[in-house]
Amino acid sequence: MAGIYRKVNRPVTMTLWERLYVMEVVRGVLITARHFFRNLVGVTIAYVTGKPSERRIMTIYYPEELPPVPEAYRGRPVLVRGADGKEKCVACGLCEVACPPKCISIVGAMREDGTRYPDTYTLNGAVCIFCGLCEEACPEEAIVMSYDYQNLCEYDRSLMRYDKEALLIPEEKLAKRLEYIRRRMYNKCNY
Amino acid sequence: MFDYTYLPEPSLVPYLIEMMAKIMFIFTMNVGVFAPVLGWVERKQSALMQDRIGANRADVFGFTLFGLVHIATDALKLLVKEDFIPRGADRTLHYLAPFIALVPALIAFAVIPFGGQYDLWGHKANMVIADLDVGILYVFAVASLATYGSVIAGWASNNNWSLLGGIRVGAQMLSYEVAMGLTLVGVFMVYGSLRLTDIGVAQENFFHWGIFLQPVGFILFITCALAENKRTPFDVPEAESELVAGYFTEYSGLKFAMFWMAEFLEMVTISAVLVALFFGGWQIPFVTHAGLAGFFGFLGPNGAQVATMLVHVGVFWMKVLVWIFILMLIRWSLPRFRYDQLMNLGWKIILPLALANILVTGAIMLLVK
Repeated sequence: MAGIYRKVNRPVTMTLWERLYVMEVVRGVLITARHFFRNLVGVTIAYVTGKPSERRIMTIYYPEELPPVPEAYRGRPVLVRGADGKEKCVACGLCEVACPPKCISIVGAMREDGTRYPDTYTLNGAVCIFCGLCEEACPEEAIVMSYDYQNLCEYDRSLMRYDKEALLIPEEKLAKRLEYIRRRMYNKCNY
Repeated sequence: MFDYTYLPEPSLVPYLIEMMAKIMFIFTMNVGVFAPVLGWVERKQSALMQDRIGANRADVFGFTLFGLVHIATDALKLLVKEDFIPRGADRTLHYLAPFIALVPALIAFAVIPFGGQYDLWGHKANMVIADLDVGILYVFAVASLATYGSVIAGWASNNNWSLLGGIRVGAQMLSYEVAMGLTLVGVFMVYGSLRLTDIGVAQENFFHWGIFLQPVGFILFITCALAENKRTPFDVPEAESELVAGYFTEYSGLKFAMFWMAEFLEMVTISAVLVALFFGGWQIPFVTHAGLAGFFGFLGPNGAQVATMLVHVGVFWMKVLVWIFILMLIRWSLPRFRYDQLMNLGWKIILPLALANILVTGAIMLLVK
């Protein structure tokens, strides 16, 4: 919803009509009354249909309703679990190198068939700055930024060190984000 | 016109029952319904007018009821809050002031008719608690008593802001009561009576409503009434940005709640007076009393009267609700007057206009006659 503004041409000297004040009061009251009834209708429709977008008021009932997240939003970084149930990550270490605050640490290993995988993949959520460079660096689409932004804080920093199991999320749940990064346009200005 | 020879001697018991029922009804409507619910209305209406949502977090077992639960939480909070009296304050007057402010707001309703006169089982029921022949003068007298509550509160608190607020109340009420009395003289001249039931009966014809006969008087009266109510645009006595909270700065807990209730009840009373004087009281446009009773004729003579009474009382309260809504709209739309503007408006604009209104009304009445 774009902001609506109107340029007000305000004359310095008031006309007799304006100085009478009564009709100007009526005009002002009609403006607020219009807002009242428009919002009343909007709130009623939103309550009946259950669609918060029908409400014209910008305020969001936060814990019950969530604001719409833009496509380029960078939430918690997560690892992608492929369709075969294995992580897509090949432990190349590019994300580790790209990470500005150095919050990722990987210990690679090799399977019997010769493919590489991360034996441990630790992402320290307390250090992560949500820059998304790991996502850009990854050649395998294995680490992506999710749209998840809730419950990321803990009272104990040690709880914020996510290991591989905590980071892995099935591919189909990240379909929207994967489609977005395939366009290779990370800058928000492109949207 | 009414049969004023009607007196209670022949049937004291029905008279007492009727009286108690009316007093209970008005008291319940004011204290039980309007005082608490208006707090909710004020919050929600101001929120919607300003594109906000308003108070909605208090809940009972997960039901917020559009924020109505806040009424209960407010009451609980104000009940258990510390009742603080500042050092050096006059304790007696400090206790007395909220009562002096609240009681007039309650008793002013005694003369306002919320229905017509009905013949119920041979007993004439008049839907007004006290059908005084001085009518509206009683409302003025009682409304000026309420001023003492605010002034005494300002004096007794031993606080600079309170005292300033109290002084401002005194000056404002004095200025606007003069004008308020004069604005209504035109109405009395047109209807030829001070008795509010007479004025209500005279407005049975839609085109004899006060708003059509006294349009200037109506605008002047609503301005004065807003000033009497001490709410924005005329809230200089409490002026948050200047005087903390004005005359009730040093009040907390239930005593603060009484000032708060007095403000809301004054608003109900003002709406009721406006409806009774300018908007036909209990009358429905283009529907006469006899016509409505005829419409309900299938309920028998008594049933028709009861149905008519219920419709009339409902119509009256609906009109009052509409006026409360408009007063709230005005309160949340307009900024506060500067103090000198307030005094100028009262003495230099409204008072001369009210006098001119009396003159013009008299001239027109002479011409028409």
